[in-house]
Amino acid sequence: MGEYINIFIKSAFIENMVLAYFLGMCSYLAVSKTLSTAFGLGMAVIFVLGITMPINWLINEYLLVSFELEFLRFIIFIAVIASTVQLVEMVVEKFSPGLYAALGIFLPLITVNCAILGGSLFMVTREYDLGESIAFGLGGGFGWFLAIIAIAAIRERIRYSNVPPALRGLGMAFLLTGLMGVAFLSLTGIDPAVFAGWSGTGE
Amino acid sequence: MSTKYIYTFGLIMTVVVALVLAGFKTLTADVAARNEDIFNKRQILAAIATPMAEAGQDVDALSDEAVLELFDNQVEQTVINAEGEIIEGTMAIEVDMEQEKKKDEADRLYPLYTVNLDGSNYYIMSVRGNGLWDAIWGNIALEDDLNTVAGVSFDHAGETPGLGAEIKDNQSWKNQFEGRKIYDDAGDFVSIVVRKGGARNPEHEVDGLSGATVTADGVTKMLYTGLKAYEPFLQDIDKASGMNLK
Amino acid sequence: MAESTEIKTGVTTTQEKEPLFGKKERILITDPLLDNNPITIQVLGVCSALAVTSLVYPSLVMSVAVVFVCAFSSLFTSLLRNTIPKAVRLIVQLVIIATLVTIVNEALKALNYPIYKQLSVYIGLIITNCIVMGRLEAFAMANKPWRSFLDGLGNGLGYGLILVAVGFVRELFGKGSLFAGSPIEWKIIGPSAEYTINTMSEGLGGTLFGWYANNNLMVLPAAAMFVIAVFIWIQRAWNPKLVDAS
Repeated sequence: MGEYINIFIKSAFIENMVLAYFLGMCSYLAVSKTLSTAFGLGMAVIFVLGITMPINWLINEYLLVSFELEFLRFIIFIAVIASTVQLVEMVVEKFSPGLYAALGIFLPLITVNCAILGGSLFMVTREYDLGESIAFGLGGGFGWFLAIIAIAAIRERIRYSNVPPALRGLGMAFLLTGLMGVAFLSLTGIDPAVFAGWSGTGE
Repeated sequence: MSTKYIYTFGLIMTVVVALVLAGFKTLTADVAARNEDIFNKRQILAAIATPMAEAGQDVDALSDEAVLELFDNQVEQTVINAEGEIIEGTMAIEVDMEQEKKKDEADRLYPLYTVNLDGSNYYIMSVRGNGLWDAIWGNIALEDDLNTVAGVSFDHAGETPGLGAEIKDNQSWKNQFEGRKIYDDAGDFVSIVVRKGGARNPEHEVDGLSGATVTADGVTKMLYTGLKAYEPFLQDIDKASGMNLK
Repeated sequence: MAESTEIKTGVTTTQEKEPLFGKKERILITDPLLDNNPITIQVLGVCSALAVTSLVYPSLVMSVAVVFVCAFSSLFTSLLRNTIPKAVRLIVQLVIIATLVTIVNEALKALNYPIYKQLSVYIGLIITNCIVMGRLEAFAMANKPWRSFLDGLGNGLGYGLILVAVGFVRELFGKGSLFAGSPIEWKIIGPSAEYTINTMSEGLGGTLFGWYANNNLMVLPAAAMFVIAVFIWIQRAWNPKLVDAS
């Protein structure tokens, strides 16, 4: 359990998808004007990352690697993500109209969110196993969620501030993201290895 | 547009894309494999850049052919297991450190390159560990006495450029490793420590890297566990050659 | 993708007889470079590639990859635009992009292995770079192949321009060098004899620039954000028409 907590903490705070890797910046900047929509999109990202990571892991391990089809990785991953999103959309619409109303409009946006594909590609280069991939997906999604609600909350407030006209909107969003990135960097001091000690398997 | 049309379109598209990609892959596979081989061999040779420079060869300036030729003629590749026994029939370059690290410690294989330069042997060992963001790895060259470091090369998957990435880019930092010893005077294994704030023990320590404490600690840990894994084997050669390191 | 509908669709034309590269075609390329820049104005595609901008050389390679993918995916999508079933057009576009990106990835492996290693997952992330898909949806699905190709080319170049500019500022001030890792590496200012201006030397460099130290903030991921924010600031102060009304 410890190493999963370790990966979760690391991917959520220290190696934040948005602030350290710039993954999913497009929707992060476009949908962070109000807090409520940012919340919806953030939840949807956690949801989709949590589902696509294990699926892509299984496909990568048992299909791509076993049959030496690694060169099809990009295409298969993106197809899996696109179809998963579509499937999730349909299932959610049928069984949980409430959740659909909250997440529905954001789901199509997520296919082209780099954080989703990025998560799967990082999972491969870092050679996570199935459990670690799930922890990484949930942690990365949670980190993304945190970043977008934080920037949305700040942007809602900053609307009442006197910002130089040329910096209004986008320019300020970039500056704030940079500052948040620096702030999150201070979390690097956390030694995630202590969490690995919980399971007794850590070094 | 009918469903049938969509399926037909999808099918044709899949076939075309698969053929194009498979064709392109086949076209480039050989060159890519050769590039990877040369890239890996260069990283190994980078560990003995200084002794090679003394022998009149600049590692960075070597042509691809020269790298392959040097590996064929002057490098003896050995694979050893965790007990220090030599595994026959495999080449060290085929050992994938990334895969080995996932195995249980007892099942791991370790590559060892013995390079003959102007009559003296250099032993290059591969190590792998974790930096701040991602994996780090490297090669350590020991001199004939199997104790003194002749040089190191490091690489990383994603350390911060200018900070953690200095383990790869900062040549003068890497040069500090030369002449350091992995055994203390009593003959106990101590490895080499990257010390924040500056080396205190010139025999076994090198200076830290400013702004990259986590990566530097990762290097220390990687060197300790990585070199220790070779210890059973080192002791065997030690006995066989009749030399006494300790 | 919601934002892509807001982008101005560019010039749609119905006239048949036009010069192959007239004024309208030129605008397709020049407009995205500044006044309709994908990053600073359209806010598309900021995602994946910025993480490679701490050095100029990887930024340049990344830009070339994005330009290639952007231009050719526009071309192919435009060629197929009347046959693609509307219901699955997003997936078809993604497959076209992913195929091109895979080709770039394999080509890079064969042409320049070290830089392939350095860019690692970021080449793959071009697939989800919104600028590519944004242009397919907004332009290529409704325009003729040649114009779509130019539009893709222009947007790719506009994107690459920012990428290289950010890399230039970050490497110059963060590492004191330019084009590190490439054959034309130039070490400009730093504390050793390798640099053109040696801040540690006894001579002029040390006397005038002895105080100089690299700005470590520049190599951190956050610096890319600051640099782009400053670009946006300058651009909009220059041309107040571009100021965000909201």
